[in-house]
Amino acid sequence: MKIETNHIVKKYGDKVVLDLNGQYSRLLFESGKITGIIGSNGSGKTTLMKIMAGLISAIDGEVRYDGQTFDQDIAMKITYANQRPVLFSRSIYENIAYPLRIRKYPEEEINRIVRGLLEEFEIADIQKQNAKHLSGGESQKTALARALSFSPEVVFLDEPTASIDPKSVQVIEAALKRRNADTGLTVIIITHNLAQAFRLCDRLVFLNQGECLLYDTTEKMRQAQNTTIQEFISFNAF
Amino acid sequence: MQYILDGFVEAFYLIFSFDPEIFQIVGLSLFVSLTSTLISTVIGVPLGILLGINNFRGKRTVSRFLYTFMSFPPVIIGLFTALFLARSGPLGQFRLMYTPTAMIIAQMVLVTPIIMGIVFNHASNSGYDVVQTGKTLGANRINILTLLILELKGGIMIALVTGFGRAISEVGAVMIVGGNIKGFTRVMTTFIAMNNNMGQYSVSIAMGIILMTISFLTNSILYHFSEGAKYEDRD
Ligand SMILES: Nc1ncnc2c1ncn2[C@@H]1O[C@H](COP(=O)(O)OP(=O)(O)O)[C@@H](O)[C@H]1O
Ligand SMILES: [Mg+2]
Repeated sequence: MKIETNHIVKKYGDKVVLDLNGQYSRLLFESGKITGIIGSNGSGKTTLMKIMAGLISAIDGEVRYDGQTFDQDIAMKITYANQRPVLFSRSIYENIAYPLRIRKYPEEEINRIVRGLLEEFEIADIQKQNAKHLSGGESQKTALARALSFSPEVVFLDEPTASIDPKSVQVIEAALKRRNADTGLTVIIITHNLAQAFRLCDRLVFLNQGECLLYDTTEKMRQAQNTTIQEFISFNAF
Repeated sequence: MQYILDGFVEAFYLIFSFDPEIFQIVGLSLFVSLTSTLISTVIGVPLGILLGINNFRGKRTVSRFLYTFMSFPPVIIGLFTALFLARSGPLGQFRLMYTPTAMIIAQMVLVTPIIMGIVFNHASNSGYDVVQTGKTLGANRINILTLLILELKGGIMIALVTGFGRAISEVGAVMIVGGNIKGFTRVMTTFIAMNNNMGQYSVSIAMGIILMTISFLTNSILYHFSEGAKYEDRD
């Protein structure tokens, strides 16, 4: 699914937290690409992502999904994984099965898919545990497995690997890459980890104080002349 | 001190004599309080959830009102209900004063804000996240409602048990609108109050033991759910 934003503006109270105008007023997220959103804290990354995921509304501008405006049909094909995973108080297995149950998948199908994900995310041995009592890495992997269970066309990820162990990061990145390569899953990911952004992404959006300073290939982002971007990159040097 | 001891001995004798009057009183108490709790649940749970998960102007005012109502003394609620139900009151034509129905109504007025307030509190803490997460997974309105009830069930149970506990143990409201009529509107608490006034301590104690047993049971259930809900509200 191709996603296009047009002149998005978001305010909280009187404060403008996002205002995409000028050269980058239109952002096109192509189908089958992995796009990163980077920028310092409070630059509007989460806000932009939640608007694109249909979770909050902008006060101005619009988002188009393959040319359509947001509706329940589109909601059924995209997903968003919160920075702070919200899991349901039931087993890991049932958390992952949830999107399939509401889509009325047959039981054997659910079983097959969930087992596959449990293996892939290396959480099969704890599948019966209540998802309310998990470590950061386990929660993120469960949340991601749940988000991917129904094979969405687009997945929005808000800092999915912030503050979790390197092994889990690797598992998560591998799962995303595999789906992107095999099924053309479109990935839009916010990350503070520039190494990860350069490793994973085809293109990057750079946000600063609610404005987009650059939207280009990862290579172009590295070479950007803009001082804010250069500073950001050198501060996050690895 | 002897009369206290005698009271207890006689109380146990009374309980195990299975006096039909005692049974009838306990039965009516349970019926009135369970019915009022049930009606309050039907009203209070959806409203509490709705108020809790939505952000709107005046939400703080609403919650302040709720908390004030939650702590209203039963006698005052009895008095208010009586004003409405009395012959000359706005609902006087229905002749409900001094009937079990009046008691149910008064307890409903007492319990609804309690249930609503507790559910509101739990829904405000974690309800919004549950709704948003449901949406990200493709849940429709009905899916989300089911999800909310399941995710908040600990909090909802706490609300119900607290509400029921308040209803079964209050005396002011049922006394005013029920009138403690023998064989008709006499419940455990009004029975105890009356017998105590008449110096018949042993029957008071007997009924007190039954009431405390019921309270104890409801509180154990409450404790069970509060322990469970601690995890629910956790991020
Ligand atoms: N619900 C909200 N109410 C008020 N201000 C908010 C809210 N959500 C975000 N903001 C503000 O909007 C700005 C952008 O936030 P956000 O999109 O979360 O930034 P980022 O994800 O890039 O760190 C911040 O200044 C933040 O304080
Ligand atoms: Mg953020």
